[in-house]
Amino acid sequence: MRVSAVAALVAVVMGVLVQGAGAAPSSSCPNAWAHGWQKLADKVGVPVYCPTWMPNPLDAQIGGQYEDIYSIGKDRSYLVSFLEHGDLGSGDVHVNFRGYPGRKAIPTCPGPVGKTTVPCFADPAGHMRANGIRATVYQVNQGADQWHILLAWHYRGSLYTVSQHVINPYDSATRIRQNLAHLLKSLVLVQPARG
Amino acid sequence: MKLTRRRFIGGAAAAVAAGGGIYELVDRFATTPKRPVAEPAGIPSEQHLINLRTTSSEGVEVVVPPLHHAVVTAKLDVGDLPSAQRQLEDVLREIDARYELSPAGLGVTVGWGIPYFEKHVAAQAKTHLPHDRRAQKPVLLPTRRFPSDPSSTILEDNDVVFLLRSDHIQHIEDARAKIAALRFLSVTSVRRGFAGGGFDGGQSLPKKMAVAAGVPGADLIPDGAELFLGFTSTQKAGLGPGTIANHETLGYVDLRSGYFRNGTHMHLSHIAEDLEAWYLNFDFDERVLTAFRPGMTNVRRNAQTIPQGPSQVSGTNELVRQFHRTGRFGHSASIQATSRLLHDTVGVDGTHYPKGTAIPQRADFNTLDNPFAFSADPARDRMDKQPSAGVHFVVFNPTGDDFERNRLAMDGVLPGGTKLSLPPRNRGQGFNSVLTTTHRQNFLVPPRRHRSFPLAEL
Repeated sequence: MRVSAVAALVAVVMGVLVQGAGAAPSSSCPNAWAHGWQKLADKVGVPVYCPTWMPNPLDAQIGGQYEDIYSIGKDRSYLVSFLEHGDLGSGDVHVNFRGYPGRKAIPTCPGPVGKTTVPCFADPAGHMRANGIRATVYQVNQGADQWHILLAWHYRGSLYTVSQHVINPYDSATRIRQNLAHLLKSLVLVQPARG
Repeated sequence: MKLTRRRFIGGAAAAVAAGGGIYELVDRFATTPKRPVAEPAGIPSEQHLINLRTTSSEGVEVVVPPLHHAVVTAKLDVGDLPSAQRQLEDVLREIDARYELSPAGLGVTVGWGIPYFEKHVAAQAKTHLPHDRRAQKPVLLPTRRFPSDPSSTILEDNDVVFLLRSDHIQHIEDARAKIAALRFLSVTSVRRGFAGGGFDGGQSLPKKMAVAAGVPGADLIPDGAELFLGFTSTQKAGLGPGTIANHETLGYVDLRSGYFRNGTHMHLSHIAEDLEAWYLNFDFDERVLTAFRPGMTNVRRNAQTIPQGPSQVSGTNELVRQFHRTGRFGHSASIQATSRLLHDTVGVDGTHYPKGTAIPQRADFNTLDNPFAFSADPARDRMDKQPSAGVHFVVFNPTGDDFERNRLAMDGVLPGGTKLSLPPRNRGQGFNSVLTTTHRQNFLVPPRRHRSFPLAEL
């Protein structure tokens, strides 16, 4: 009985957190962020996903104060990363967006031991559906997504991901999954300009 | 103050568990396993033996450990040794009379450290302490650090240790209070924990307890996991059977006067576990080959109980070959090189032990202690109130050297001088990269007849 009581209390608090964290998703990339995402879409030549919600305190303004990595490879795959680094022990908030134009397979990364390669995203742990996207949740990820929980999905023959680091203040996989669910719900497509 | 999920759950757990601490939740989270009724006349001479039932987990026979565990360590402040011996034995007999020797009752194991033998019975010890004839060393060795231990690992110097095991926390608390009330004992630490609770389906006890305590990575533990790291470790075939861990059984030991016949060696350590590193950096396949052995294929995804019988044992040659091929060795595979019998063996009592039989008898249990539930020296023991995932590792071996062989093998140091060379705590080195040993000590566990102040009557 006491277990039920604790579980019920937990459920209430989790509910409050979920409701408090979310806001109704916009239907378009926020004005202040749109330019950067449009430029990215134009450069890689495929649609990219612009978030309309980010975990506090981040925004998703490419070239803004939280941008950490902006990288486009020769194969047009991209990594856009936003980071708030808490120097005074407040922790890190770190979100990565990736896209692999024309590629459906999960890429491979150098293995942690020996001269091996491993999938860059591994240990699938369920799915999330929102916004017309069915994303797979991956718990073990490599490179810039190490220590992150990651969502991956396909759209028109391309692979896309969004991930967030499991670290204080978002210090459990459960909380990160909640954030990722909000991110997924908030994504809007930015089409490349016809050229 | 912002109410985080961890603070909330921690607060709720602390509130409901006031007085008994987080471990009282074990009673709420676990149903008591069905247990056989112990035979009153069947009390063994060995203190370390307790009759445990088995069950089937994913088709593998596994031992069901007692739900609750506690370890009490102490130093002695004693003038009249024979009187203290009588008092302790009286208390232990009172406990024996109250609780049958089974998980439904209580298992009590008393071990004694080198400081006791050196300070209190030095002359008798010279004559009677058993000697490891295989290693040409005393059975009870000074506690040491191992290659993967950090320099911060504390080598303890307790006189005595009490291991208490039961399905009922009240039984443990009753015994702990009776023992701690003995005036000549100065308790240095109390360590608590839990095990099992998940074999009958649903969420296991470690998962529930870790989530309730809000330890990092708790929500990544698979639901049915017997232990925090996700794999079952009490496969019957992976634990030493019967009296195999007695000093005398395998012939490793010169018992000298025979005073310690039916005794054994016990190693106690506390190991912190980094669950987030384990579950966020090692995918399932890598967790399998890290916990067991490289090249292990065809393991069903998310399986938790992996067979560990004699046919699954890795020999040294195979271990070395795999290491050179893959750059890693598994936890079980490396230890099996020393912890399993290399050939069919007949014990001194005529029992036949086939090749591949396990020798050590483990009694480890998960804990949320950080690192202990109580310490008489919180600064030295680096006590922290924040719960932390870990294991109080308890293992019985015929000798201290036998334990050391296994522990060194875990670090890639094999008997005969073979060394699987990797930097300490390297990711290729089994579990080591996610484990940190904080404390260690060796003890001698006398037979039940001499459990109270051994040698003091001589």
